[in-house]
Amino acid sequence: MLKIKDLTVQFGGEGGKPVLRAVDGVTLEVGEGQSVGLVGESGCGKSSLANAVVRLVPVAGGQVSFDGNDVTRLSRKELKSFRTRVQMIFQDPLGSLNPRLSVGGCLSEVCRVHNPGIGKAAVDQRVAELLDMVGLESLYANRYPHEFSGGQRQRIGIARALAVSPTLVIADEPVSALDVSVQVQILNLMKDLQKKMNLSYLFIAHDLAVVRYMCERIYVMYLGKVVEESPAAELFVKPAHPYTEALLSAVPDVEKGLKNREVGSDRIVLGGDVPSATERIPGCPFHPRCHKVQEICREKVPPRKEVSEGRFSVCHFS
Amino acid sequence: MWKVLKIQDDCEILGVMSDLLEVKGLKVQFGSSKDPVCAVDGVSFSVPDGSTFALVGESGCGKSVTALSLARLVPEPAGSYAAGSIMFNGENVLEMSNSRLRELRGREIAYVFQDPSTALNPVFRVGAQIMEAIQLHRKDVSARDETIRLMTLVGLPDPAERMKAYPHELSGGMQQRVMIAMALACSPKLLVADEPTTALDVTIQAQILELLSSLQKKLNMSVLLITHNLGLVADVAHTVNVMYAGRIVESGQVRDVLAAPAHPYTRGLLDAVPKLSGIDGSDVRLEGIDGFVPNPAELPPGCKFEPRCKYAQDKCREVEPELECRISNAEYRMEREGLVGSEGGSTTNVQQPTSSNQEEGRLVRCHYPLGGSDA
Ligand SMILES: Nc1ncnc2c1ncn2[C@@H]1O[C@H](COP(=O)(O)OP(=O)(O)OP(=O)(O)O)[C@@H](O)[C@H]1O
Ligand SMILES: Nc1ncnc2c1ncn2[C@@H]1O[C@H](COP(=O)(O)OP(=O)(O)OP(=O)(O)O)[C@@H](O)[C@H]1O
Ligand code: SF4
Ligand code: SF4
Ligand SMILES: [Mg+2]
Ligand SMILES: [Mg+2]
Repeated sequence: MLKIKDLTVQFGGEGGKPVLRAVDGVTLEVGEGQSVGLVGESGCGKSSLANAVVRLVPVAGGQVSFDGNDVTRLSRKELKSFRTRVQMIFQDPLGSLNPRLSVGGCLSEVCRVHNPGIGKAAVDQRVAELLDMVGLESLYANRYPHEFSGGQRQRIGIARALAVSPTLVIADEPVSALDVSVQVQILNLMKDLQKKMNLSYLFIAHDLAVVRYMCERIYVMYLGKVVEESPAAELFVKPAHPYTEALLSAVPDVEKGLKNREVGSDRIVLGGDVPSATERIPGCPFHPRCHKVQEICREKVPPRKEVSEGRFSVCHFS
Repeated sequence: MWKVLKIQDDCEILGVMSDLLEVKGLKVQFGSSKDPVCAVDGVSFSVPDGSTFALVGESGCGKSVTALSLARLVPEPAGSYAAGSIMFNGENVLEMSNSRLRELRGREIAYVFQDPSTALNPVFRVGAQIMEAIQLHRKDVSARDETIRLMTLVGLPDPAERMKAYPHELSGGMQQRVMIAMALACSPKLLVADEPTTALDVTIQAQILELLSSLQKKLNMSVLLITHNLGLVADVAHTVNVMYAGRIVESGQVRDVLAAPAHPYTRGLLDAVPKLSGIDGSDVRLEGIDGFVPNPAELPPGCKFEPRCKYAQDKCREVEPELECRISNAEYRMEREGLVGSEGGSTTNVQQPTSSNQEEGRLVRCHYPLGGSDA
């Protein structure tokens, strides 16, 4: 249903500022009822990609299509219907909720915009239904966003996204700011809702372990490009790209941690930070941080290889 | 300080350790004295010299209030220390004069907090901020040289150049390194890291934890690591205290607690850590803990965890359990060595340590601890 082809998103460029290519030729698909993960470090372009899909930032190149329609060329009317079918959930739900509106007020506003002419009783019923769906008691409708804990706010963010009955939900780091215990509650909730409503997810995170529970297919992004693309089950058994390997190694895992104490750590600690996207790195963009780097990597851009059916890796040695 | 730790008759521990910090029965309240709300209630623990000690629990359970108390940093009179003592190197922090407290905060206990971007001053270059921290405590060194040394120590590349950067020009991970450099400026004996990596990427989190752990060894200081993620504790900490509703509910050596948690809350926190192995992820419901941390003003009468506990019995609703050693050492050792099976739904596939040259006390605040013999 969502098809992204060679998508490029750029910032800067005006007034002599350097061009920053936040997303650089990404191809990605989300099928109906599927959940797809997009993983990578801060600044690799995950949010820029998501924002380009919902037209919050302009597309510099490539195509985005949803159910066969080119998203960049929607008429006003088509855009309106697109926005009811595709919804976003953010890391900080407080930033996307109006602090002066009670939770009930905020949800009824969305319902009313979505169904013009709907009666008050129907709106109230829908609000109660939405709150129930995300596991909040309906008496919370009268409270204001700041009165809720982080996990409860995320539930409200989800309720608001679901108010318009979307088919695709783009979740941009929905659990990154939450305690592990609350994180589990939200992931379970999102999974249950997916089954119940046959939702598709594009799930963005920087922690691979979180994505493991949510997604069938995973795209790993580095510096604006996809470096590995794989069915989830296979990626966790054996990552194909050195960057994926390093990301996996960074996950705080109890079993691994206890073993490391006994036999010494075999953790691959990625040195340094993600380089700025304005830098032009010759050869493989990951080579300055790669633990498997060879001479060829500094000179030649690696090709995208199919390492097994439906698995791709962009590395000379995959 | 050499001493014999005695916890209960059946779990006597002969330990040789010198404690840098010993907190006893700490109680911190907020609100009016008529109707106080207890954020920390009867917390006791000790941090041996030169070790990494973790304090773990969900948001709102009192970790930060406990940590701030160590240097008497909880804002007064909004908050007040209602009971207990905090012995730091043999001196009670709660009885120190203001001038002694200033000395303590500057030289002996240093803090690193969650969000480096709010802790750094945006209008000054980071080098100047580190130099200022040095000049505050030390007159014997060249502040500039010392800044370069500290920046190198915390792994900031190209320090002479990096000194000139403003905070916003650095990534979150580098900002946190700057914060750690500032904290180290006074060569503290205790570094309190309150969720130092919660705002960072997992890759950068791994770097910072590795850094803290290597600094702890290199500088022989003690580190108090505060987190909500038990997964972080496994690699770096020696001992762990689990906190819930202002109380310690379980404590012990990290490998023991993580391999076989005795408190249902610890079990839940451990289950909630996303795993990399085991069951295939995509089609299971995750285990964790239902419900929310209670508001400290509305705690249940018996066990504070009872409303969320899968194992609760009638007794739990009425009587609050004490923090005590519920697993006698002999039985516990047998269980660890696989001589008796553990009960109570302990399902970790983590291998139990088979031998241990120390006998460590495990404390748990629960009427029916998991895997124990009293249930
Ligand atoms: N509005 C903007 N103007 C200029 N640069 C931008 C803008 N938005 C993002 N960028 C830059 O684009 C790059 C990618 O940013 P993006 O927010 O997409 O990354 P991300 O993967 O979502 O990271 P995070 O995990 O931090 O959210 C970064 O270098 C960022 O600084
Ligand atoms: N200055 C204050 N005034 C009133 N109540 C406070 C104050 N500081 C903390 N509290 C209360 O004390 C309790 C414990 O808070 P604390 O900040 O120690 O939690 P925490 O475990 O550090 O949580 P988090 O993970 O969110 O940082 C909370 O209920 C909080 O509301
Ligand atoms: S091409 Fe070379 S540098 Fe790039 S990921 Fe592969 S091994 Fe590493
Ligand atoms: S005392 Fe009872 S309610 Fe509390 S943790 Fe133990 S079993 Fe659960
Ligand atoms: Mg983002
Ligand atoms: Mg805190």
